[in-house]
Amino acid sequence: MNLADNLQAFIPSKSVLYIAKKEVMDNIRSRWVIVMSFIFALLTFVVSYFGSFGEGWQSLGLTIAGMMSLVQFLIPIIALILSYGAIVGEIERGSMSAFLSLPVKRVEIILGKFIGLSSVLGISVLVGFGVAGIIIGINVGEINIGEYIVFLLTSILLGMVFVCLGLFASSFFKRRSTAMGMSIFLWFFFTMIWSIITSGIAIMVSDDFTSVISEGFPDWYYAVEMINPLSAFNSLVSLNVESVSSMGQEFLGSYPDFYTTPLLTVILLVWLTVFLVLSVLIFKNRDL
Amino acid sequence: MIEKKVKCPSCGFETMIQGEPGESKILVCPNCDKKGMFQFPGPKRTLENEKGLSMLSVTSLTKTFNGKKAVNNASFSVKKGEIFGFLGPNGAGKTTTIKAVLGLLFADEGRILIEDKNLMTDEKHVKEHIGYLPEKVAFYENLTALQNLEFYAEMKQADKAQCRILLKEFGLGDAVNQKVGTFSKGMNQRLGMARAILGDPSFLILDEPSSGLDPRGVVFIREKIKELNDQGVTIFISSHILSEIQAICHRVGIINKGSIVAVDDIENLQNRLQLQPKLVLTLDNVKKEFVTAVEGIDEVSSVKQNNKVLEVFCKKKAKAQVILTLAKKKATILDIQTMDPSLEEVFMRFTEAGD
Repeated sequence: MNLADNLQAFIPSKSVLYIAKKEVMDNIRSRWVIVMSFIFALLTFVVSYFGSFGEGWQSLGLTIAGMMSLVQFLIPIIALILSYGAIVGEIERGSMSAFLSLPVKRVEIILGKFIGLSSVLGISVLVGFGVAGIIIGINVGEINIGEYIVFLLTSILLGMVFVCLGLFASSFFKRRSTAMGMSIFLWFFFTMIWSIITSGIAIMVSDDFTSVISEGFPDWYYAVEMINPLSAFNSLVSLNVESVSSMGQEFLGSYPDFYTTPLLTVILLVWLTVFLVLSVLIFKNRDL
Repeated sequence: MIEKKVKCPSCGFETMIQGEPGESKILVCPNCDKKGMFQFPGPKRTLENEKGLSMLSVTSLTKTFNGKKAVNNASFSVKKGEIFGFLGPNGAGKTTTIKAVLGLLFADEGRILIEDKNLMTDEKHVKEHIGYLPEKVAFYENLTALQNLEFYAEMKQADKAQCRILLKEFGLGDAVNQKVGTFSKGMNQRLGMARAILGDPSFLILDEPSSGLDPRGVVFIREKIKELNDQGVTIFISSHILSEIQAICHRVGIINKGSIVAVDDIENLQNRLQLQPKLVLTLDNVKKEFVTAVEGIDEVSSVKQNNKVLEVFCKKKAKAQVILTLAKKKATILDIQTMDPSLEEVFMRFTEAGD
């Protein structure tokens, strides 16, 4: 296969769209979409109403700020749950054999699954957060639609990164249970371990602990921290949603100059692409 | 133009209809006015002059798992228009071979050609003409039978209208909108067969097609396989039910411990093993001259006498001559039984090394 063929394989064919459509239908029929949308909407209401400590609905900007940590935990885990069984689950169940006997390439299966599962997550985020956003907006009367859309789209992008990580685990492991274990580890690694390791190293290499407290972390720490998709998401929203950035500055100080919207977006897209390509390469050479 | 007799599923009224091969027609029963759809069998998928050409050619296929050769230098071919039975004990390499043929796993060595095209280099085009029923039939359980079949129809670029027709044909007409997760094993198997023949493939690979079916289902699938073969579909079938294979296959291949140990038609294999039909004749009185006369027939290999019973081992075509010879000698034949050697005997002999 030459480069042109490889590139052509990444252009969505009809088969890719049919697979994506099937994934969406399957998840709608299994009520996953409804459950996820409900969870997202409920959390938004809870944060907006109860986050104000009895003062009624908060503005959408403050609601987003209040939801940031919840979204960082919830979206990755939901994306991983959606995707970790996408390949290995079908192999274990037996449906992959029939699937691969069809005139379809393995790369198309991965792409179809990626598009389909990302759509499922996207629909849930848009419906759940969207409905909640509209209701809150009606109640508070003060709406910054642009900021809310940035928050929704960035959340979907974060979800897509974790869908790719789940697909990677699903293509790599021979058993569904191992793929699930790997997904849980990945979630744990990015939400907890990454920050513990980087801040630990920063403190270890500094002359004394008090200098870190007084002068802040060195630039390399922020550079490494920025690579974590969750930090990239967090920073991306902070840079573009005023309520979040003002709250962040209040607690954490401002971001270094190299934290820019294009760079943070590219970081998320690189994660997405690398793990999507790895999933394709592993699945392409895998025996069933 | 072809003519077919159709039966109304509601009232049982039978009528003749005409149409073109592959044409779908909406019919109204003249007796009960019930509407339904009928699809005429597709055009012959193997032309007379193509018969005998290779549909599948497997050469020196080798596949190793954890240092153990699951398939070792296997070579065989399946001719266009035939039903080829693929037999072997459990773990002999049948499923590995089938998976390699379909590109589900990658062979260490060897070449697989389907209609002279290499699956590895021409994957999509080759698979457009293949229908496959895996040993473990599975579907998307949250989707209905119709939604599942429509998805496969889209992937095969087949006419979606064929889905409903196939579901009815395979006795799943009432379960069209039922979630596949609620299906019994037999229903799943029928749906699997429907999926395999969706898009009118010219080459069908069936791995244990009768698995999980009740006797009626077994007969139905057997008849369906014959019908498809009559339409020119080449069929590669792997089954443990040897009587099924013997009843429908033109040739068989036997694999044992990863190696192909025999490929031929069943009668030739029986001859190779010198397994001959046995004619058991009960006479009112066995005279020595009867035994001598029968022994004198060219294609009779041996004759055993046990009181009034003569056991004659001979080739199939000599059976009539044995009876005629005895009749000429004025022997009174009270009972005749012919016992053909079964495929089971052939299978057991060729796979003895596996025990």
